Amino acid sequence: MNGPLIVQSDKTLLLEVDHERADDCRRAIAPFAELERAPEHIHTYRVTPLGLWNARAAGHDAEQVVDALVEYSRYPVPHALLVDIAETMDRYGRLTLSKHPAHGLVLTTTDRPVLEEILRSKRIIPLVGSRIDPDTVAVHPSERGQIKQTLLKLGWPAEDLAGYVDGEAHPIELAEDGWALRPYQKQAVENFWHGGSGVVVLPCGAGKTLVGAGSMAQAKSTTLILVTNTVSARQWKHELVKRTSLTEDEIGEYSGTRKEIRPVTIATYQVLTTKRKGVYPHLELFDSRDWGLIVYDEVHLLPAPVFKFTADLQARRRLGLTATLVREDGRESDVFSLIGPKRFDAPWKEIEAQGYIAPADCVEVRVNLTDSERLAYATAETEEKYRFCATTATKRKVTEAIVKRFAGQQILVIGQYIDQLDELGEHLNAPVIKGETSNAQREKLFDAFREGEISVLVVSKVANFSIDLPEATVAIQVSGTFGSRQEEAQRLGRVLRPKADGHQAHFYSVVARDTIDQDFAAHRQRFLAEQGYAYRIVDADELLAEG
Amino acid sequence: MSNPATPPRSLAEALRARDDASLALLLRARPDLITPVPTDLTQLATRAGTRASVLRALERLDRFTLQTAEALAVAGDPASYGELQRLMAGDAGDPAVAAALPHALGALRDQALVWGDDERLRLVRTAREVLAPSPQHPSPTGLGPTVREATTGMSPGRIQEILTAAGLPSTHDPVSAVDKLTALFGHRKKMARLLAAGPAESLEVLGRLVWGPPYGQVTPEPAAHLRWLLDRGLLLPTAPGTVVLPREVALHLREGRAHREPEPVPPAVEPAATHRPPVVDATAAGQAYTALATVEELLKDWDEGGPAVLRAGGLSVRDLKRTAVALDVPEPVAAFWVELAYAAGLLASDGEADERYAATPAYDEWLDRPPAERWSRLAEAWLTATRSSGLVGGRDAKDRALSALGPGLDRSAAPEVRHRVLALLAGLPEGAAPAAGSVLARLRWERPLRGPQQQGEDLRTRLARWALSEAEMLGVTGRGALSAHGRALLGAPPVPRTAEPAAEGPGDKLPVRHHHGVPSLTALTALTALATLEPLSPPEQAVATANAGRLLTPLLPEPLDHVLLQADLTAVAPGPLRRPLADALGVLADVESKGGATVYRFTPASVRRALDAGRTATDLHAFLATHSRTPVPQPLSYLVDDVARRHGHLRVGAASAYVRCDDDTVLGEILADKRAAALRLRRLAPTVLATQADPATLLEGLRAMGYAPAAESAEGDVLITRADAHRTPPRTAPEPVPDGPPPPDPTLLAAAIRAIRAGDLAATTPRKSSGTSVQGGELPRTTAAETLATMQAAVLTGGTLWIGYVNAEGTASQRVVAPIRVEGGFVTAYDHTADEVRTYPLHRVTGVAELAEE
Repeated sequence: MNGPLIVQSDKTLLLEVDHERADDCRRAIAPFAELERAPEHIHTYRVTPLGLWNARAAGHDAEQVVDALVEYSRYPVPHALLVDIAETMDRYGRLTLSKHPAHGLVLTTTDRPVLEEILRSKRIIPLVGSRIDPDTVAVHPSERGQIKQTLLKLGWPAEDLAGYVDGEAHPIELAEDGWALRPYQKQAVENFWHGGSGVVVLPCGAGKTLVGAGSMAQAKSTTLILVTNTVSARQWKHELVKRTSLTEDEIGEYSGTRKEIRPVTIATYQVLTTKRKGVYPHLELFDSRDWGLIVYDEVHLLPAPVFKFTADLQARRRLGLTATLVREDGRESDVFSLIGPKRFDAPWKEIEAQGYIAPADCVEVRVNLTDSERLAYATAETEEKYRFCATTATKRKVTEAIVKRFAGQQILVIGQYIDQLDELGEHLNAPVIKGETSNAQREKLFDAFREGEISVLVVSKVANFSIDLPEATVAIQVSGTFGSRQEEAQRLGRVLRPKADGHQAHFYSVVARDTIDQDFAAHRQRFLAEQGYAYRIVDADELLAEG
Repeated sequence: MSNPATPPRSLAEALRARDDASLALLLRARPDLITPVPTDLTQLATRAGTRASVLRALERLDRFTLQTAEALAVAGDPASYGELQRLMAGDAGDPAVAAALPHALGALRDQALVWGDDERLRLVRTAREVLAPSPQHPSPTGLGPTVREATTGMSPGRIQEILTAAGLPSTHDPVSAVDKLTALFGHRKKMARLLAAGPAESLEVLGRLVWGPPYGQVTPEPAAHLRWLLDRGLLLPTAPGTVVLPREVALHLREGRAHREPEPVPPAVEPAATHRPPVVDATAAGQAYTALATVEELLKDWDEGGPAVLRAGGLSVRDLKRTAVALDVPEPVAAFWVELAYAAGLLASDGEADERYAATPAYDEWLDRPPAERWSRLAEAWLTATRSSGLVGGRDAKDRALSALGPGLDRSAAPEVRHRVLALLAGLPEGAAPAAGSVLARLRWERPLRGPQQQGEDLRTRLARWALSEAEMLGVTGRGALSAHGRALLGAPPVPRTAEPAAEGPGDKLPVRHHHGVPSLTALTALTALATLEPLSPPEQAVATANAGRLLTPLLPEPLDHVLLQADLTAVAPGPLRRPLADALGVLADVESKGGATVYRFTPASVRRALDAGRTATDLHAFLATHSRTPVPQPLSYLVDDVARRHGHLRVGAASAYVRCDDDTVLGEILADKRAAALRLRRLAPTVLATQADPATLLEGLRAMGYAPAAESAEGDVLITRADAHRTPPRTAPEPVPDGPPPPDPTLLAAAIRAIRAGDLAATTPRKSSGTSVQGGELPRTTAAETLATMQAAVLTGGTLWIGYVNAEGTASQRVVAPIRVEGGFVTAYDHTADEVRTYPLHRVTGVAELAEE
């Protein structure tokens, strides 16, 4: 009894990473346990019903799970927990969704009382058709996603054997000239393809686009790619042209400005969710071609209406890509049930250790409000408080000092409030990119930054996602969207692309001491801290004194 | 039995013939017979024949022995061994029954429920009354009355008719007629011939009644097939519209068997799964450690003011819920831990005016013991406690809620059932976990319930169920199998471990059933010895408990003296911590996850808590550095400093009055003045002094010192002193107190009149002159024997008696009663005075007198 794993009564698993058998153990528990936190010494995994069912779906049985726990556990595993695992896993597969030659999509059971139980649920009744025989009931084909989601919520997950449509074939190959998919990218593509549908979680800068491209090369069919915004759409197009056999003409952009439908079409979430007179006019895009693969970029941002459309697309392969599957609205489970389970997840530090993302030095700089600011902060209205402390004048001085220290390197200053950014831009003599900046102007500035013509760029949250700034080595965050964990991770991601000279990236978060800014910062940092990024905390005075 | 030449004529004689050892056996089995010690064997025999004692003995018989007693109750009196065996095994015979019967009969004899030699077996009369079938109390055998009993009161002519219809010659008198009929029914061949002639429908009716209940309904004009049966006495009328299947006929149809399913062999306890013994021990040890941690956590939670004691005693439902949430367990489990701590003497009510539960001084001693010893104490307390936490949340017979730590949770059977359950587990091969159902079935066989089953599970079954789950929670069992230390706790010898088979695969398989080969003969005898484990006496139990503790010690994890600190502000203790470390860390950080390890999270609030507890930032840094195997992460040390920086920045204290003055020299003067010492002034700021004295005293004091202070209001204005009108808090006007009682309402009046009239009847009814003359108005006085005799006579005659009665409060009264039943020291009677049926303890009846017929 000297294993690396400790099984807790709340169904979390603690893995001691420095243990000699830690790697074996990680492999053994990965199929059913969700990595929750990965700080330096002890990683925390959680065993959830969803995870156990996904393991069942991937062909693991309860005995394997129990064996893995018993084998690696340092202390005796509570019997009740083992029984609970066996019982939970036993619930999977009592119901199966399959194709019936005469009745189309049907739900079949091996355990009649279960079928009786779920057919009594109010939420299931509208989704099913007539009873074919005591063990089988017809399901409306359009409700395949809905019924799967609902059954999951009822605790009787259905095994989906109805398969996928192949979609319209279209030749796509990876053009691996002078580069190749990285091992973890290959693994991710393989896991996804084997599983049929699902989500791939990779850190920012670890090359998620290539996982998309790799999957398309596997599918060799028409593909719909959903991205967050137009800039991101262009980058996808650029990358696909560069990395695959696809040509510019084969790739269409479906956005606010252009409405092209080609064998590979890149659409933005925004255009899909535009509502006119109570209907979504662009929904037909989903039916406009017989898509063989649908890629959801930044799946953690998937807007609620898209969830509903996605439910109707269960017969098509779906790939979700994200760096941080944390949603402040807690809808992670909807992502899992509608797009698919997590197929690949690599801890940030592991990719860093392999040298594919740059090591980063994360620093939280605490600034003091001046006495007059403190008084003003104390009397500010609740909704104004964050804005007030996040835009304190002292932050400007600190930002200037940091910019001065890293003079000559590519520096991004990121913030939430336009006034603050304008002021910073003015003092730093740097251009500001914000919502009102035109796409053309944005791309021009980004190019100039890439070329090194500009070394400091001030950006608002419009640049949060999918902008590719290869040479940024320093990011300074002056304010953010309250306590958003994934925003923090995305921002850190801006500086994680491996540097040509291999040196460290720097991420500074400037925070006002003893205010809610500090509380929000603590919440924002939680995800990264759990991924093993240790923030150093320094006082502004020290930093100014050094500088 | 020692002298078969002269068979005993009574139970007393049979007892007299028994040797000392066999008498000791009887008295051990029925300890109620020697409380108080009887004067002679006749008295012992009388006592052994009392209804209460017989019932008690019958309740403690196993199913087969009880079945044997039931068979004797329907057999002749006396019955021969052969007759008994036929009743038990049927005409065809049953080797299993035949093998088990001598033992069962022996048990009945040992317990003085049966006496007489094998030719003349007699069931004690009371037992026979209890077990024999009667219309009110159907027998579990499902048999009806004998032909003789059923034909009592039937006209001789009718009996002769039946005889003729059954194809027998008529006789001179009814007695011989009944004998002939009985003989016919008992004769298998003749009976078969008789029945063969019957219509199929008739036989079907018999088939319906054969296994009981033997009674059926008939219309005044029965159908032909019923007529056929009635004519031949195969069904006999008992009351208008009701017929019964005579016992002899039923036995013929049953091929002689008294029971449909005799159960000579106890149901085996089936192993549901078998685990490797080390896995069982380790799991149990893990759970044992959890038990200790849980009890500690519970009492720690109650350290600062535990929950209040309810007025009726016990813990309120809300407090139990709160405790369950705090321990992160379901409520019944929380109730178990609370009761366990109570049973082990670790927690009790503090007995203050505002009564609360708190840990006892014994808890502090307990904490200082090594873990194994702590566990032993809990385990012993659990094993021997009569309190059963499983009852918590239920309701008692009076529909009062049963609360944890409250009254009404004692069940005298609990320790015995617990012991029995564990003994059954000990009887299994090592590492085998039984199916709960088979354990419960075995217990039911050992102690069957007499009479019809009531709704739900009986108490013993519930107790056994609880015992199984509690043993698991306490770590006596692991994975459902008895652990080595659990075995030691019972005082059972350890099972010699054969060479450990090479472990195949990791751990063991959970849902897989392992079937075992037939155990060898020696193992079997060892197991039989285990299955008959007796509860231990207290000193023996102490030794056994200590042994269990010794076995457990090496299995418990060694407490650690370090934690792993991480940059996400968590600390992980990869195992149990030494107590001082755990205590300190519990203050400095919040517990996030429990189990084999503990995950702590540092937050500003938790660090502040540590600072409030008197630690300094330097202390905390040193503490973290000492107990961390790795360097202290920078964010954590920053957090400590950051909180420390602000800690104590604002100071809060209580003062009841202050002095303020713009001129700080005046305040300096006051402070320096010796006369101000009594005012205990303290300088808070150059211009402010504070004191614990109230403003009035302060004003007076300062005035005495020659100053002219002015009082200040809460808003800072100068208060002007003026005579103020004093007011009480809101009060209600007094209720009027009238001179006499309120006029009675009609109900009260009617009740009063009835009572008066009944008293009058008692006083004026002419009495039969008996030996003792009774003056009017005085309570009758008779000796206890006379009282009893008179009562019993009145039951038979249906007469009315006049009794003197002293109630529980000691108030004497006279009552006119018509006794219905006298048994067990109570008389049940219709009370004319109260106009209802009541039960009186005989010892409270001072005397009795017969009333003259009205």
